[in-house]
Amino acid sequence: MTDLLANLALGFQVAANPYNLSFCLLGALVGTLVGVLPGIGTVATVAMLLPITFGLPPVGALIMLAGIYYGAQYGGSTTSILVNIPGEATSVVTCLDGHQMARQGRAGAALSIAAIGSFFAGCVATVLVAALGGPLTGLALLFGPAEYFALMLLGLIFAVVLAKGSVLKSVAMVLTGLLLSMVGSDLETGAGRMTFDIAELSDGIGFANVAMGLFGFAEIIRNLEMSAESREIVNTKISGLMPTRQDLIDSSGAIARGTILGSLLGILPGGGAVVASFAAYTFEKRISKNPERFGRGAIQGVAAPESANNAAAQTSFIPLLTLGIPPNAVMALMVGAMTIHGIVPGPQVMTKQPELFWGMIASMWLGNLMLIIINLPLVGVWVTLLRVPYRLLFPSIIVFCCIGIYSINNSPTDVVIAAIFGLVGYWLVKHDFEPAPLVLAFVLGPLMEENLRRAMLIARGDATVFATRPISAGLLLVAAFLLVLAALPMIRKRRDEVFVE
Amino acid sequence: MAEGTKSSPEGGRFQFKVRGPQDFYGGLALIALAIFAIIASGELPGQHGFAFGPGTAPRMFATLLAVVGGLVALSGLFIDGPPIGHFALKGPAYVLTAILLFAGMIRGIDLQMIGIPLKIPALGLVLSTFVAFMVSIMGSTEMRWVESLIAAVAMTAFCVGLFVYLLGLPFQLWPL
Repeated sequence: MTDLLANLALGFQVAANPYNLSFCLLGALVGTLVGVLPGIGTVATVAMLLPITFGLPPVGALIMLAGIYYGAQYGGSTTSILVNIPGEATSVVTCLDGHQMARQGRAGAALSIAAIGSFFAGCVATVLVAALGGPLTGLALLFGPAEYFALMLLGLIFAVVLAKGSVLKSVAMVLTGLLLSMVGSDLETGAGRMTFDIAELSDGIGFANVAMGLFGFAEIIRNLEMSAESREIVNTKISGLMPTRQDLIDSSGAIARGTILGSLLGILPGGGAVVASFAAYTFEKRISKNPERFGRGAIQGVAAPESANNAAAQTSFIPLLTLGIPPNAVMALMVGAMTIHGIVPGPQVMTKQPELFWGMIASMWLGNLMLIIINLPLVGVWVTLLRVPYRLLFPSIIVFCCIGIYSINNSPTDVVIAAIFGLVGYWLVKHDFEPAPLVLAFVLGPLMEENLRRAMLIARGDATVFATRPISAGLLLVAAFLLVLAALPMIRKRRDEVFVE
Repeated sequence: MAEGTKSSPEGGRFQFKVRGPQDFYGGLALIALAIFAIIASGELPGQHGFAFGPGTAPRMFATLLAVVGGLVALSGLFIDGPPIGHFALKGPAYVLTAILLFAGMIRGIDLQMIGIPLKIPALGLVLSTFVAFMVSIMGSTEMRWVESLIAAVAMTAFCVGLFVYLLGLPFQLWPL
C-alpha cells in the first residue's frame, strides 16, 4: 500500500510537471476536437494525431497520446448526444438515450452526466491500473512463449465472440488479419514474405495505414452515401449544463455499475471499450424497474455506457503495460508510438522506466479531470464545429489523414496503402464483415507467430506443450469454451438481441 | 479483395439461387485472397525439423482462411441473408483519386513503371494539399465552388501552419 502511494506520488510529480501538464491538456483538447467530428472514431483520431507527438520527449508524447485518447472518446459522446451520429462504435449506445434527452431539451444534463460518469469511472480505473500494475507484472514472469500465445489466442476469441454478427465471419476476419500481418520480412530469417519485391512492404504493412484506411477513409466513403438530411443537430440552445439533484441520484447507481463492468471488460484482451458500453447499457436496461424508458431519454442509458467505456479505455492499458500485449486497436497504436520513442512495451517498462509508467497513470487521472473542466464550458465550441457542413468537413479530414500518414514515415506508399484499405473497408461494410477483429488480429499476428515459433522450438516440435503447461492449457480451455458458447444457437440469439438494441 | 464485387453479376450462372449474397460472395473473395496468399508464399521454405520456416505460418493462416471462407460462402448459399448493398461510385472514386493524387504529388512519381508515360515532379505540401482537398470535395453531391475554394485555401494554410511551423516536421512546401 505504501508502495502504491509512493509510486502514485512519483507519477503525479512527473505528470504535474508544467510541460507534461500542458501536453496532457493539449492532447485532451485536440483529441476532443477531432473526436467531435462526425464519423471519426477513437482509432482514426489517435492514428491521425500520432505524428504530432513525434517531436516530444517520450514521457510527454505518451501522456499527450493518452490525453488524445480520452479526449477522442469524450468528443465522440458529445457528437452522439447532439447529432444522432455516433463518432465511433463506443458511442453508439450513448446515441440511443443521449440524443433523445437532447431532443427533449436536456442536452446539457446528458452532456454533464456523461462527463461526470466518465470522470468517476476514470478515477476508479486509475487506482485499479496502479494497484493491479505491480502484481500483474509479476504474473508476466510466469509467462513463457506458450502462455503468451495462448493468451493472445484467447484475446482473439474474445474479439470474435464479442463482435456483432456471425461468429464464422468474425473468425474469417481474424484469419484475414493474421494473414495480412504476415506480409514483410520474416523475423528469424529475414526472408521477404508476400512482399512482391516492393521495398516499402519489406517492413510489413504499417498498422497506422490499415487503421486509417479501415476506420477513417472507409467511414468517409460510406458517409458520402448518406444524404445531408440524416444528420440532425439539436438546434435548441443548450441551457442548464448542471444536472439536477434528481439526475445525480438517478444515475449514481448506473455510473457505479457501469464503472465496475467497464473496468473488468477493459482488462480482457479483445474486449475493450465498445463491448463495455454495450454490456453496461443492456445490463442497466435489464435491472431497471421501468425498462420501457430506455431509448426515450433515460439518464441511466447515458450514464452507464459512458462510465463503462471510459473505465474500459483506461483499464485496457493494463495488459499493454504489464504484458506488452495490446488488447485493442488504440493500444496497438500506442505500441507504435512507444516503439518510435524506443520503448518496448511490457513488464520491464515499470521497473526500468518507473517515471514513464507512473507518470502515464497519474496523467490519466489528470486528463480526466481536465476533460470535465474544459468540456463543459467549451460545449458551445464543439456545437459550432458540429454545424460545419459535412461537405466541407470530409475533404479536410481526408487531407489531414493523408498528411498524417505520410509524415509517419515520409512515405507516399503508405498513403496509397491506406487508400487501398479504405476501399477494402468499404467492401467489408457492404458484406457485413466487422473490421475490429481483423485489426486486432493484424496487431497480434507477428507477436503470436513469434511466440508460437518459440514455444514449438523450445518444446522440440511437440505441439502438446500448449496443453501440458497449466496456465496455457487453462487459457486455451477458456478460449474453446467461449467459442463453443458463442456458436450455440440459443446464446447467439440472445447476443444478437443485445446488438440489435 | 474486390473480386467479390466484380463477380456479383455472374451470379446467374449458378443453378440454384444464392440465398445470402453478402456471405456467399464475401466468402468467395476470402477464398480468393487465401489462394493468392498461398501462391505468393509458395516459394518460402516451410517446416524444417521442428522449427517453423518463414513460410509455415502464412500458409497455415491462408489454409485456415480458405476453409473458413468456404464455410462462409456455403452459409451464404443455404441461409437467407440480405442482398449486397448498392456500391456508390462517384464518392469513392473522387476520394480515392484525391488520396492517390496526394501520394503522387507530394514527392513526385514516375508513372513509367506502370506503363504510363507521365512523370509528376515533386510538387510539395501546399499544392498537394490544395489539389487533394479540391478533388475530394467534388465527390460530394452538394459541392459549391466559391465556398470550396475558400475552404481549400484555409485548410492548406492550417495544415502548413500546424505540420511545418508548429510541429517542425520536414516537408517540402513548394515545387522544386
